[in-house]
Amino acid sequence: MRLDNTPVVELDDLKVKLGRREILHGITCRLGVSGTGKAIGLLGPNGAGKSTLILTLLGFLRPSAGRARILGMDCRRNMGEARSRIGYMPENDSFVGEMTAVTFLRQMAELSGLPPEAALEKAHEVLFHVGLGESRYRELRTYSYGMKQMAKLAQAIVHGPELVVLDEPTNGLDPAARRRMLKLVTDMKVEQGMNVLVCSHLLRDIEQVCDEAVILKDGVIVHHCNLEEERRSNRSFVELEVTGDDRNLRTVLPEIGAEGVSEGAGRWRIVLPAGVEVEAIWGLAARQNLLVRKLTHRRDTLEEIFLKAMGHLAHTPGESAAIDVRST
Amino acid sequence: MVLPRYAWRRLYEQRLVILLTVVSFIWPLICGGFIYLTNHVELLQGLDKDFLEFIQVNGRFFSIFMYVQAGFAVFLTALAGPSLVAPDLSNNALPLYFSRPLTRWSYALARLTVIIGMLSVVTWVPGLLLFALQVGLAGGWWFIANWTLGAAVVVGFLLWLLVLGLVAMASSAYVKWRVVAGAVSLAFFFILSGVSEMINQIFRVAWGHVLDPAWSVNRVWCTLLGVDPPDGPGAGASLLSLVMFVLLLVMVIERKLRPVEVVR
Repeated sequence: MRLDNTPVVELDDLKVKLGRREILHGITCRLGVSGTGKAIGLLGPNGAGKSTLILTLLGFLRPSAGRARILGMDCRRNMGEARSRIGYMPENDSFVGEMTAVTFLRQMAELSGLPPEAALEKAHEVLFHVGLGESRYRELRTYSYGMKQMAKLAQAIVHGPELVVLDEPTNGLDPAARRRMLKLVTDMKVEQGMNVLVCSHLLRDIEQVCDEAVILKDGVIVHHCNLEEERRSNRSFVELEVTGDDRNLRTVLPEIGAEGVSEGAGRWRIVLPAGVEVEAIWGLAARQNLLVRKLTHRRDTLEEIFLKAMGHLAHTPGESAAIDVRST
Repeated sequence: MVLPRYAWRRLYEQRLVILLTVVSFIWPLICGGFIYLTNHVELLQGLDKDFLEFIQVNGRFFSIFMYVQAGFAVFLTALAGPSLVAPDLSNNALPLYFSRPLTRWSYALARLTVIIGMLSVVTWVPGLLLFALQVGLAGGWWFIANWTLGAAVVVGFLLWLLVLGLVAMASSAYVKWRVVAGAVSLAFFFILSGVSEMINQIFRVAWGHVLDPAWSVNRVWCTLLGVDPPDGPGAGASLLSLVMFVLLLVMVIERKLRPVEVVR
């Protein structure tokens, strides 16, 4: 595993035109660190420029201005070298229907630089890994949609790339297949240390597998968040709803190092200090003879972040409360 | 060599391709028998003297051989050529290829190599074998006097195979459907032949032939083999028209063989 702080994706005032129309308007950012086994989510509404960005990173589209680097290599000049270290799973059906899955994967692995014997071995291994072991000698055109999605994922990882680019990996999958796909993506980063770049419009998928998310809108980045930190910070915000006389609650909360603000009718927003778990609130409420009706971590969901970035929400629900809490 | 290896295997998994390839060997075998006969005068005793002078292994003999084999090559191209490119396009497999260390040109070259390789088996390879057979039977003096015929067979056929290969790839890249691409490949030659003839008839000219790649290549062969050329434009003009065809086909391939298609 390499840990040389090379960003997975580095964009410097990247502009991309399709015909005369500019799709990406000067994007600058650094995403992920090569060799860390983290997933980056690329979010945005239709027409935001997600696919254009992916295609530019793969060297399929030329930037009209600026620079794009992937794994430290320029997408215009060093793509030959970069491509052997990248796996790509396109959104649409992509396969050679007349080939069996194992032959197809073997060919793709060989094209990525694996010797024929190793490629065959890896093809079998990966097909079993994605759950297509039993049908690996069937022609790809006979596969169901879900199987084709898995075959696409298999060809993307067959050569053991450092970075896997997944374009809408769960599109059209039933819930069970979707869960399986997301588990495979998680395994790829956790067990095999691959960096993953996931492009999706399904916020729950991104939230589930990604550690970092970028939201694109109209060809510009409108939000870049570290989902790990978001999750961590979410753990310190608690929503409490109690029945009983809660007037003393504010004064007793500092006993456990917490602070809180009442929203009336027994509803509280509380900030827990680091190291204090939500169970401490139960004890506190019990000592104050309060009946706890609801006690949850605040979930500043990706959906809220997304909607906020899109301008559909003025602010994230709970954000004002958090500010209030800090000010009390 | 990964792509040609897999493509080669895919190609000969088709029974019709094997069948047509086998059928294509009939004419070279007949020609081989003819060469054997012409070199064994004892077998031809009693035949008319004029006829004996007529049946000689020379430029005319090789031009007839090449003309027939070129026809087989056209049908083989229409049958097998599109199966190498069209499935990749119809199944949107190009992004998978080009996301690997493979350029568009190396992909196109790999496919073209396989088409030319497959057609070589039924064109210049048997042609060269016939030439070698004649040299073996007639002796070194025949080789010294006629070595240009061997070179003409190889060069002439390779020129034709280049055109055929590019037509198959361009039609496959354009229509993306194997069966239709095969039909388009055939139509390309028949329609252009008809158009060139039409121009010649309507305008009472002969330059219309340059629009017919089959006629042009035959004209070039005539010069290479030193046989009487048909009436019409010269070898230079025919070669120039073939070069133009090649450039046009390369342009179509360049525009169509892309991992992503930008719709304007």
